[in-house]
Amino acid sequence: MHRDYVNTSNGGTLVDEDQVEPVITTKALRKMYGPHLALDDATLELPSGAIGILGPNGAGKSTFFKCLLGLIGVTSGEGSVLGHDIRTEGDIIRSKIGYMPEYNSLDPGLFAIDQVRYCGELLGMNSKVAMQRAHEVLEYVGLKDQRYRKIETFSTGMIQATKLACALVHDPEILICDEPTNGLDRRARSFMLQTLRRTVKQGKRTVLMSSHVMDDVQEVCDRIVLIHNGRIVVHRSIGDLVSKVEREIEIVVWGGAKKMEEALISMDLKTRRLGRVIRIKLEDDSTVNQILEAAISTDVQVRQLYEYEPDLEDVFLLIMEKLGSEIKGSSDLIAIANGDAEI
Amino acid sequence: MSSEEIDIGGSQTRMEVAFGAGDSDSEASAVVAKKEASLGAIFNQNYRPWEGTLGPRWMRNYAIFRHHVYGLITSKGHRHYHPMVRLLILVIFLVSLSPIPMLFLSSLLGGEDGSFLDKMWGINRYNLWGQVLGFFPRNLCLWPLLTALVVGGMISDDRQNGTSALYFSRPVTRLDYTAMKYVSAATILGFVIVFSYFLYYTSAIVFRSEGWAFLEDTLPIFLGGVLAGLTLVITYTSIGLSLSSISQSRFFAAIGFLSIIFGTKLVAFLVESQFETTFLYILSPYDCLAHIGQYLLGLPLNYDHPLSFSFVSIIVMNSVAIALLVSRVSSLEVTRE
Repeated sequence: MHRDYVNTSNGGTLVDEDQVEPVITTKALRKMYGPHLALDDATLELPSGAIGILGPNGAGKSTFFKCLLGLIGVTSGEGSVLGHDIRTEGDIIRSKIGYMPEYNSLDPGLFAIDQVRYCGELLGMNSKVAMQRAHEVLEYVGLKDQRYRKIETFSTGMIQATKLACALVHDPEILICDEPTNGLDRRARSFMLQTLRRTVKQGKRTVLMSSHVMDDVQEVCDRIVLIHNGRIVVHRSIGDLVSKVEREIEIVVWGGAKKMEEALISMDLKTRRLGRVIRIKLEDDSTVNQILEAAISTDVQVRQLYEYEPDLEDVFLLIMEKLGSEIKGSSDLIAIANGDAEI
Repeated sequence: MSSEEIDIGGSQTRMEVAFGAGDSDSEASAVVAKKEASLGAIFNQNYRPWEGTLGPRWMRNYAIFRHHVYGLITSKGHRHYHPMVRLLILVIFLVSLSPIPMLFLSSLLGGEDGSFLDKMWGINRYNLWGQVLGFFPRNLCLWPLLTALVVGGMISDDRQNGTSALYFSRPVTRLDYTAMKYVSAATILGFVIVFSYFLYYTSAIVFRSEGWAFLEDTLPIFLGGVLAGLTLVITYTSIGLSLSSISQSRFFAAIGFLSIIFGTKLVAFLVESQFETTFLYILSPYDCLAHIGQYLLGLPLNYDHPLSFSFVSIIVMNSVAIALLVSRVSSLEVTRE
């Protein structure tokens, strides 16, 4: 990966070429398992930064990761990671990528420090360097004295942290995290996301993160790639997607929500209500005044009034709705996982 | 389908109720969230880049080898072998060296007693064959148990713990993975079986101050025994490792291996007792090895069927075991096991 610092007349600007040059490129990538089409015509150019890979279970996320890691042969199409061909240079790619698997992949009989050191050695580090680096990354992921404990005694949070340390031991240019916050409590989850964010911002590394928890993706990533039935249906920045959703004012009322709704409708405002929560389409600056007038006229208390900011969960559900998937929330995807086989 | 085709412009987001689902004016009670107490840990998280260079393929492969082999000597930092497993392997190694003190004794005693001890434990075709291929105690109690202990968890542990992902998400190919596991297991078996054989032979030379003439006489027999020992190590490793690769349980692999070795031997023995034919011994890995070993050391063959049958049988056993091993390692997953 190449970065340039260019001095300019206004005192110097950091020009990060990764922002413009894609680190991952795929062109009409297709992967079939027998008659089953797992990845269909995937064409992408992913820049550096944090990218969320979204999609229901069985959509093709794992296949996509496997293709990027050069672990499986593609049926047709081409792709490159950091300029290396995924069809022929899988081992070079894997030496530049850190992969954090979703499932437990640690030896329970090893101490955390030895597990991370061994991961370094498996990449070709000599023992001494790998040990030194293991200490650094374990500290980075928040494991201090625990590094001298056997992994079998670890909590889920510590296991996830060790997996992340294993992936980071060689300072990879791209970090692929498969459900990094799986099974974590609020505190551990927050720390994991902070660590990933820091890896992108401070370490200037690219993070590809797949998760069913949209809040997590939104917290770390600035772009998403949505895969559905093996096809890449969305590849955009989150901000770009959110800006496309209709702007609304949300109010929470007390003392006659139905009356309030009728009053708003009579003012020709596009309104929808669920219990005491009413959302009104933001037409122009006068919409707020109209809402307040309606509240006065109906003698209803407006307890909260704010412009509703759609999040990634909203965007995801809208996209899934457009695709005809009956998903009420991203948590449904986890339920689906129990019934569907992963590709 | 490109991103432009999924247009969410002007769409409305989902709604969630506030406080409760109703819209009545009933009394509401507030739930105040308790703030979690801070543990006050001081932690300065800093991403530290690494500028080093990764080593070549042999370093990765050596890491796998060392991880598995050094684990037997010190579990600190390497593959964890249960202390009882390590102790048993040590006991097996020491038992395999048991002729050495007898050789020492025979060299000390001399005379008739020494000659008796020398006949029993000294260097000759029968004793060299017995050191590697004798049924009792070596192929009944020592080598199969050693193999079961060593190869039992070699691959099945990776299946059970999902640690295969650690290998295959790194520049370790399946060929390297399989080869290094194989070499690791074979090295441990080889150390106990072949190295003890080597020590036995050299100690006989040292204790009895044998000269070149003895070496000239016995070296071809000794080398025949080495070849037989290596064939045994390869065959046992192939069968054991293939069993380890098909399950998630080290217990299954170990018991499976012992069952194959002893089961086939027992069945062939029963058939021989009833029908007076040794033909079914071609199904027993031990007997095929013993048959070939007899030939290599120049001993009279005590099986009725031709040597070529045992030879072909060993090749088939190894081929099937390695084919199974390769096929099962190919199916090891990176993303989910």
